Amino acid sequence: MPKGSDPFLPLLAEVAEVRDLTPDIKLLRLSLREGRIDYRPGQFAILSAFGVGEAPFTFASLPEEGLEFAIRRMGTVTNALHNLGPGDLVGIRGPYGNTFPLEDYEGKDIIIIGGGIGIAPLRPLIHWFIKHRGDYGSLLIIYGARTPRDFAFSDEFDAWAGAGGARLELAIDPPGSPDWRGRVALVPAVVKELKPSPKNSIAITCGPPIMIHYVIEELRALGFSPGQIVTTLEAKMKCGMGKCMRCNVGDKYVCKDGPVFTADQISRLLEAF
Amino acid sequence: MKFISDKNLRKWLESLMGIGSLIAPMDLGPGLTLFSQIRDPGDVNLEYETTPIPPKDLFFPSSEALFRFSPSRGYEIPEIDGEAFLLGIRPCDALGIRLMDFPFLSEPADPRYERRRRRTTLIGLGCIKARPECFCTSFGIGPFDASNADAFLIPVKGGFLAEARTEKGAKALAAAELEEASIPIPKPPEVPSIDVGAVREVALSLFNSPYWERLADRCLSCKLCAYVCPSCYCFDIRDYPIRDGAERIRSWDSCQSPLFSRQASGYDPRQTKASRLRNRFYHKFSYFPGEFGAFGCTGCGRCVRYCPVNIDVREVLLAILRGEAKVA
Repeated sequence: MPKGSDPFLPLLAEVAEVRDLTPDIKLLRLSLREGRIDYRPGQFAILSAFGVGEAPFTFASLPEEGLEFAIRRMGTVTNALHNLGPGDLVGIRGPYGNTFPLEDYEGKDIIIIGGGIGIAPLRPLIHWFIKHRGDYGSLLIIYGARTPRDFAFSDEFDAWAGAGGARLELAIDPPGSPDWRGRVALVPAVVKELKPSPKNSIAITCGPPIMIHYVIEELRALGFSPGQIVTTLEAKMKCGMGKCMRCNVGDKYVCKDGPVFTADQISRLLEAF
Repeated sequence: MKFISDKNLRKWLESLMGIGSLIAPMDLGPGLTLFSQIRDPGDVNLEYETTPIPPKDLFFPSSEALFRFSPSRGYEIPEIDGEAFLLGIRPCDALGIRLMDFPFLSEPADPRYERRRRRTTLIGLGCIKARPECFCTSFGIGPFDASNADAFLIPVKGGFLAEARTEKGAKALAAAELEEASIPIPKPPEVPSIDVGAVREVALSLFNSPYWERLADRCLSCKLCAYVCPSCYCFDIRDYPIRDGAERIRSWDSCQSPLFSRQASGYDPRQTKASRLRNRFYHKFSYFPGEFGAFGCTGCGRCVRYCPVNIDVREVLLAILRGEAKVA
């Protein structure tokens, strides 16, 4: 956001493409009418459905792939965004928040653990690690969803699993999908079963707060230090710039100090997340 | 210090009104004085005690349109122009504005707040009487503290002692017929003080105290404390459809609302009333000082006066300082 400009005025973008990812998640691909948004993985934008409202969404793509957002239908704003079609107008402001320090992870084994719509901020990371395979060690992706139909980006699974040395482990919960040949387990249980080694590793997780909580517990039990566990927190927010006071968790703002936190930082937050 | 006689006051206010808009305490009904746009200098009441609502809304309105947007006309942004004089602001309320400067002027600055701040001259007014709830001296100010005003008036017999603190203040006073003052500065009223120095540190050790549950038992979550507070600034932003587009409105909100921090998933980091009430005190006395180096309280006592269930910030501060918040 250039200094002196009005940080509350969204840039205008047109919906370039809408794709159904799951029964309740759509991918919106946006094309800016003017201006540009430079961001890094982990950061988020606040999207406007004019007349309905604004809500924060993490960038689900790498910057060079275009502006993509995976949006789960949850409330009025997401509902309005789901009803848009190609050519419709969306407001977008940002980027906001901090980023994953990808350079710091170089040479390390990477474990990515996602649940549900929590795969959205992890997708650009997966793309990044696949693109820069040589700079990182092994890549393990654990992804859980409710049913087989609830996996977003399933059309990319072959590419994720096929990237040199990468491994993709999927799990659904609860049981009851007769055609499903894979795991039926909650994500933390998959972590427990697969026992990724903490040696020279970074684990990055995103999903429902309860899942993150137990994933951190399992990783800790495996010997991961809190500094090796990275997550992104969700929060209700209105401004995105540390003013409206909606997203403070203790003395930290999810919008400014996060959304990317290490488990070490989270353990020092004064409030539960 | 200079002197403005009662006789010259009216003329001064008239000339200020010739330069810009004049906002000052005005009686709107029995016992109700509020900062209002002045049309007749005779309406100004400079003998008021604290107004129920602080004049923070002059900079951060209780509700304002950020913009209107329509696909055909694009953005329309309400203009904020002209000069304004905020006359008769008490030291606690001037401090309140100084405190709101921290979040609103820090990068990226809030352009609406910044414009209103820049166009406004703050003319402070010394307090010759303290209310029972006053404890402003706890926060480094006092009844005659002029430090957050552009110009400052102290009521004396027959008029006001006047002092310019900034260029803006000097400009405003230049519009007055000033006399040389040989009147001594009167003695300010006594205002009790709480030594809040250690509160931030002590509070952090009491985060999990059952005290907050006990205090919250009687809280109604009515949010009155936030609305009457000169330094509370939580806000909401909502869209309203209008013909051919949308209007985006920002309005005051409070962290005491049960829906305030509930996330899209339904998860809420502050699910209980106790955790929300604690957040209010911790923001003022721990987080805000951590971020900006000043307590988020002015000691105006409005929250004490208007809380329908008598939750008293002074008692909370003392309980924290004495470590009593440890006791269930």
